[in-house]
Amino acid sequence: MNPKLILGIDVGGTFTDLALLFAESGRLILGKTLTTYPDPTPGIFSGINDLLQKAGISISEPEGIIHGTTLVTNAVIERKGEKTGLITTKGFEDILEIGREIRYDIYDLFISMPQPLVPTSKRFGITERINAKGEVITAPDLDEIRKIITELETEGVRSVAVVLLHSYLNPSHEKQIGNFIRRNYPHLYCSLSCEIIPEIREYERSSATVMNAYVQPVADMYLNNLSENLKSSGFKGFFQVMNSSGRLITAEQASKKPIDLLESGPAGGCMAGVYFSKKLSIPDLLAFDMGGTTAKASLIRESEPQITYQFEAAREKRFKKGSGLPVRIPVIDLIEIGAGGGSVARVNELGLLTVGPDSASSQPGPACYGNGGIYPTVTDADLVLGYLNESYFLGGKMKLCKEKAAEAIESFIAKPLGISVEKAAWGIHRVVNENMANAARVHIIEKGLNPKHFKMIAFGGAGPVHAYHVARLLHAPGLIIPGAAGVLSAFGFLVSQPAIEFTYSKVQKIDCLDFNDLNETFEKFKKEGMAYLLGAGADEKYLHFKISCEMRYAGQGHEIHVPMPLPPYHNKTGDDIKMLFENQYQQKFGRIMQGHNIETVTWRVLISGNPFFQQTARVVVEDGGAVLKGYRMAYFKGQYINTPVYNRYALSANTILKGPCIIEEHESTVVVGCEGEVFVDEANILHIQFVKNDEPVNS
Amino acid sequence: MKNKFTDPIDLSILWNRLISLVDEAASTLQQTAFSSVTRESADFAIVLMDSKGQSMVQSSISVPSFLGVLPFLVKSLIKNYFPQEVLKPGDVLITNDPWLCAGHKPDIGIVTPIFHPNQTHIIGYIGCIAHSPDIGGTLWGAGARDFYEEGLYIPPLKLIESGKLNDTVIKIIEGNVRAPYQTLGDIMAQVAANNQGIQSLMQLVNEYGLEDLDGLSDQIIQATENAMRQAIRNAPDGVYKSRYEADGDAENHPVTIECTVTINGDSIHVDYTGSSPQHPLAINAVMNYVFAYTAYPIKCIFNPEIPNNEGAFRPVTVYAPEGCILNAKKPAPLGARNVIGNLLHAPVMLALSQAVPEKVQADCGAPVWVMPLSGTKDDGTEFVEYLFLAGGYGGRNGLPGPPTLCFPTNVANVPVEVFEHDAPVLVLEKKLIPGSGGSGKFPGGDGQRFSYKNISKRPLQISNVTEKIKTQAYGLFGGEHGRKGDIFVITKDGKRRYTPPKGIDYLQPDEILVMELPGGGGYGKAE
Repeated sequence: MNPKLILGIDVGGTFTDLALLFAESGRLILGKTLTTYPDPTPGIFSGINDLLQKAGISISEPEGIIHGTTLVTNAVIERKGEKTGLITTKGFEDILEIGREIRYDIYDLFISMPQPLVPTSKRFGITERINAKGEVITAPDLDEIRKIITELETEGVRSVAVVLLHSYLNPSHEKQIGNFIRRNYPHLYCSLSCEIIPEIREYERSSATVMNAYVQPVADMYLNNLSENLKSSGFKGFFQVMNSSGRLITAEQASKKPIDLLESGPAGGCMAGVYFSKKLSIPDLLAFDMGGTTAKASLIRESEPQITYQFEAAREKRFKKGSGLPVRIPVIDLIEIGAGGGSVARVNELGLLTVGPDSASSQPGPACYGNGGIYPTVTDADLVLGYLNESYFLGGKMKLCKEKAAEAIESFIAKPLGISVEKAAWGIHRVVNENMANAARVHIIEKGLNPKHFKMIAFGGAGPVHAYHVARLLHAPGLIIPGAAGVLSAFGFLVSQPAIEFTYSKVQKIDCLDFNDLNETFEKFKKEGMAYLLGAGADEKYLHFKISCEMRYAGQGHEIHVPMPLPPYHNKTGDDIKMLFENQYQQKFGRIMQGHNIETVTWRVLISGNPFFQQTARVVVEDGGAVLKGYRMAYFKGQYINTPVYNRYALSANTILKGPCIIEEHESTVVVGCEGEVFVDEANILHIQFVKNDEPVNS
Repeated sequence: MKNKFTDPIDLSILWNRLISLVDEAASTLQQTAFSSVTRESADFAIVLMDSKGQSMVQSSISVPSFLGVLPFLVKSLIKNYFPQEVLKPGDVLITNDPWLCAGHKPDIGIVTPIFHPNQTHIIGYIGCIAHSPDIGGTLWGAGARDFYEEGLYIPPLKLIESGKLNDTVIKIIEGNVRAPYQTLGDIMAQVAANNQGIQSLMQLVNEYGLEDLDGLSDQIIQATENAMRQAIRNAPDGVYKSRYEADGDAENHPVTIECTVTINGDSIHVDYTGSSPQHPLAINAVMNYVFAYTAYPIKCIFNPEIPNNEGAFRPVTVYAPEGCILNAKKPAPLGARNVIGNLLHAPVMLALSQAVPEKVQADCGAPVWVMPLSGTKDDGTEFVEYLFLAGGYGGRNGLPGPPTLCFPTNVANVPVEVFEHDAPVLVLEKKLIPGSGGSGKFPGGDGQRFSYKNISKRPLQISNVTEKIKTQAYGLFGGEHGRKGDIFVITKDGKRRYTPPKGIDYLQPDEILVMELPGGGGYGKAE
């Protein structure tokens, strides 16, 4: 399938972003509208109508819509899912509440733990047992299930999660119960842990399965309604959804496993990074996205997004690892920290300047918005430093007030520290950059990689303002700033691949792998996956198979993700697998352990189709302004310098600009320091090189 | 020359950078370690110290007990074992001396001196303590009769000398522990973690042209100390006493902790005079460990927000008379000293509840029960497995105590499915005990019942370390006490039999070990 016209819609917390792509010409038309509450549908339609009007086409013309949404995330955070029941092995009803028994903050005596999504009264044990070898010890009794369902229905439950011990090894009991519920109680939603996340560790499996059950009715209804509404308004194409790992799935698949949508928006941004990585032939990149409240960073390696299975949703303390509900689904591996344009700066009790993690958000917003915000934020500092244009914020849609910004910085930072306002503003800029660079550095080093190796690609409203300095702090070899920085997620949807992933948990030493069993399992996954993808419109010629395995030295509890050869496997494959594991381990940890047993834990099979669009896209904005908009005083190297300000839309290909300079576009501003040199390519992408790479970073 | 940072912004940035680099080291350790204690339960800490051994920053993931301990260890190493002039670039030190390190032999300390990039002088130390999977001797627990039964003692030594691994030390360790590759693997992971930290520090030293860390360290420590002292100054001066009864062996030898907390202006002194003498069971604690677990709740109460370093501890002094259970002397057995250390917060908070009632919590149904088991599977392979089980958390002013949550130590449980995979057992139950938390305006959290059956054909060796079988977690201000715990065995013919609450036992084939963890105390009278 090669659609000529596709539309990406990203519903975020504040804005709904849209991107319409004419695949043949690469022409990209963008739209942005406020997200509507509680139902985002009116916002989506008003955004679509505006965009269609801009493009001069009708709703019947786009051949596909790809959607990303924060609906699932919000339903979990705000606890707006459906009443859910849990059926589990008798004796283990409280696993969901007991959790891992560890505190996520060791100093906070007033710690609160996330409440389980299913309370005690709706958690039921049934008599059944499978052991750690997958053998049946006690078979379930269907009469008992009938009684439990009756009780759950009296409690008003509409969705049921079934999680039994060792079902990742032997799913027969869960399936038996699932079939029984689906057959006899078709009005109930039913999530089985062996279908949602067939992996060892009962708490993590329960957490994900219960969350799936909890959001399923809401997500199913929403996706159904949206797709019906689109149809009835005249849309005739396919409707797909972005999942958390940067792959496209059908709305039907998303309804079955809505937890896959938890990170669909952020995944879009990273996938846009992947697209640029391929286009520009820069296989390894650090994608850096800084918005109003948070900054996110993720690695792209060999033009592939990095996936993690350690995700957690609805954190009790927003940026505190471990304070959320674990969901071990494949998710784009990104770090998120409380550093955005709205992050609040203050002087703490130690007399130090801190920035974030809390944000002034959009209401009241930074002091310079003039909406009653009194605390200084990053945006206020950027304005005082001359990086932002008072009268060209969001392309001039919003007026900023420099005096208010300076006032806030003066009274809350400069005075208490006894320094000048510009020093204080520069301090805020530096501290938030340091926070982001530190987080990115830890993230990269955790993978055994060198931060100096990765060029950075920056987007998000505040990304291009801060990217220059963050890149310098990381000693990045260069910086890339694509256009459309403000709606890049929606664009990312359009350049992603449809895909489906299967998992198979089996702890086995690699010298006694059961190759027949693996081959049969892979074959089964392949058949199922192909049927699904062909049904979703993928082209059989371009189907792509990838197998990987989470492996470890026997005795270690932490697995590493190792790409595997394609089947069929035979006796010699064991040696290959050992070598692949050791290479990966060596790279990550700098050594291997001679003579230790190696074991496989979870196999993952990913089957994907081709992206709908891989050519060059170009944002079309009729601006008509001059290249050089003028000069303004901006802070570089410890002083205000009269700095040239350029109009991004008027820059022609092959232009070279020397720093310091500022380049303005609608959704963002690119700040280039003294050692930067900008090259504008054919597609209006900015490539920034650093002339001197060893300059002290604090200037 | 001392580098001073007059610019508050430079100071803010450098401080954060230091925290970030010990976190980088911690992530290296967690990912390369073998023992589940280190990796899954995060039973370790990494601390960066200045040239005098004063702690500057510590990893965000750290076990409280190790915090005050590392600087103590490094100061002793400098003073009594390895003065700066005998250290060379590429040296790495090791010891598990309980009196220098963390109070029992399984905790191994690895300290690496940090030389200035031009190799002329030592600018600081990075230290890492982690719980090793095995150190030989009797199975880890309260069962050893003296220090010498508790396995291998490693005096302060150079593990690596000028970059060359000391094979003799390695061979001695290898020959003395149960799972040598795990123990040695973890030690090398600690070395790697320190190296990662040093590598990042070098970048910072070069970037800012630092000659040493001492100027920076003085500023960090001073700012922290000032903030801590200010917080203490806000509490009312006075002498606050408490008496706390603990199980001891839960039979003939109970333990009493006498605790006198004196708030005097901007400092706090804790005196344990009158507490029980050294105990025949291996539950004796040493002074540096007692200091760590006394200073820790004080920091949590008075200033949880400030970063942890030397400055947070300076206003706190602790005394326990020599020869008492909190200041044990060689050859007292120390293996399960955690059950004593892990309840010191309770007498401290009970005393402080008179001074700062809104800031303390009711007692927790802890300490965490550490219940190792070992044996031989039917296929002949040997195994050692550790179970950690938490009781209910205490109620707080405005908040009930969560069920089954660690305090003050912080270790994750082992998943049932993983446990059954690693050991020849079938878990019958892991469930909350409703109502076991003390009632109150803000009730205590519930404890749990955990039971498993030996499904192998051979007996399993178990090492019980329980607490609050005889005593209860106290409630505060009218809140009820939490329910007591219990431990027993159900034999093959369904009879209940005794198993020592602290000590070694054998679980015969088809026998079931039942553990009931205590609930937390309530806070405030129920309305």
